Amino acid sequence: MKSALRPIDDLLRGRPAAAARAWWLALLCGVFYGAVMGSFGGRPGQAVYSASKVPLLLATTTLLGLPSFFVLNTLLGVRSDFGKAMRAVVVSQAGLTIILASLAPVTAFWYASTTDYRTAILFNAAMFAVASVGAQWMLRRAYRPLIARNPVHRRLLGAWLLIYGFVGIQMGWLLRPFIGAPGEPVQFFRPGAWDNAYVFVARLIWEVLAGR
Amino acid sequence: MTHWFRDLDRILRGEATRSRALGRGSVDVRPGGLTALLVALGMVYGACMGCFALFKEGGPSVMQLVASAVKLPALFLLTLVVTFPSLYVFNALVGSRLSMGSLLRLLLAALGVTVAVLASLGPIVAFFSVSTTSYPFMLLLNVLVFAASGTLGMAFLLQTLHRLSLIPPEPEPEPEPTPSTAIEQVGEQKGEEPAGPSPGALEHAGDGPPSRQVKLIFRCWIVLFALVGAQMGWVLRPFVGTPDRPFSWFRERDSNFFEAVWHAFASLFS
Repeated sequence: MKSALRPIDDLLRGRPAAAARAWWLALLCGVFYGAVMGSFGGRPGQAVYSASKVPLLLATTTLLGLPSFFVLNTLLGVRSDFGKAMRAVVVSQAGLTIILASLAPVTAFWYASTTDYRTAILFNAAMFAVASVGAQWMLRRAYRPLIARNPVHRRLLGAWLLIYGFVGIQMGWLLRPFIGAPGEPVQFFRPGAWDNAYVFVARLIWEVLAGR
Repeated sequence: MTHWFRDLDRILRGEATRSRALGRGSVDVRPGGLTALLVALGMVYGACMGCFALFKEGGPSVMQLVASAVKLPALFLLTLVVTFPSLYVFNALVGSRLSMGSLLRLLLAALGVTVAVLASLGPIVAFFSVSTTSYPFMLLLNVLVFAASGTLGMAFLLQTLHRLSLIPPEPEPEPEPTPSTAIEQVGEQKGEEPAGPSPGALEHAGDGPPSRQVKLIFRCWIVLFALVGAQMGWVLRPFVGTPDRPFSWFRERDSNFFEAVWHAFASLFS
């Protein structure tokens, strides 16, 4: 048991040995939290879908942002540090899922104590917010030696967070439903969800401002 | 094929524009290979842009994807062809030492940086193209991506011009007295080079800011290239393809680029 928890402990404490197993940890913990998140209303099908969606969300977002991150690193003259930067990114993804997984019992308890769909959504949003704050803290910690060596890494870190956030929000919007509304059938993609999160929000703001 | 990529890689890493490599007064790349790569990477981004038309109502428009992939490299190369004579004349008029060949290489290298950044953002644009139904959003996203890569390409151009201006002129048959400041600056820089990490392609070389001459040439080029480029893009449209219109290679000539961007922004909210 102790040896099983060792990689997680290494990763959380920022020890360099942890980076190699970070992929697996991200996958395992992501699947675990996804399954718990999808268990709202006790539907196993939705739990399986959600379990596959959390790792999918993180992996595709990272993959889509990777080419531009690579070119930017090269162009700003720090290609030799790209391996370390990538490790920092992967470690922070694993950190995100570990924090989520550690919060899974809280989510399960919340589901057990309420049946309201809307509060379930809000609760999960709060869990993701907490986890991303933690993950960002880990990312900044891993980036600290790089920034000390070359301050240009600070700008690259900002660029990565911008790209990741921009793509990640749309990816999350696209992969809905993560929890599954109680009245609707269990499904992987929501029909009619094939739209843009930013356009949706802009319209919402516009409608509020225009008083419609 | 691989040495084309190696050339582009050397440009992106800044190896092709280090003061020693610039010694002969020119960026050390092969123009032919770089042009071919420019076309290839431009086609990649063009295809990502054209993905939007694959999901429009009333069946996918594959022709739009093909058209965008062809038109995007054409946009860059035609703009270069149209502006090259005047760029060269301005450059000579202001008294820069760049010859026609080295000017061409420099501009191709800057375009190479721009297109490399564009192509690297391609997957993100393709993802949004596939998952978005809002045409104005796609227009704005593409403008944003173009602006980002154009800015990086311009930064590369400015820094390389500045580095070229720091190189002392080659000794000619009748040697002119070389300006002593330039030699001093180069000497200092060569002394620094082995100590620190190798400078990136966008890093500022030497001490002081770029000279007035460099800034003047740069401004002339940017204004000319941007105006022609924006209008060229307008002439060659559609790149993304309006969902409610049938496919066409070109649209009728009307209005201009800046007006259209404003309309797209306004219609995002309605």
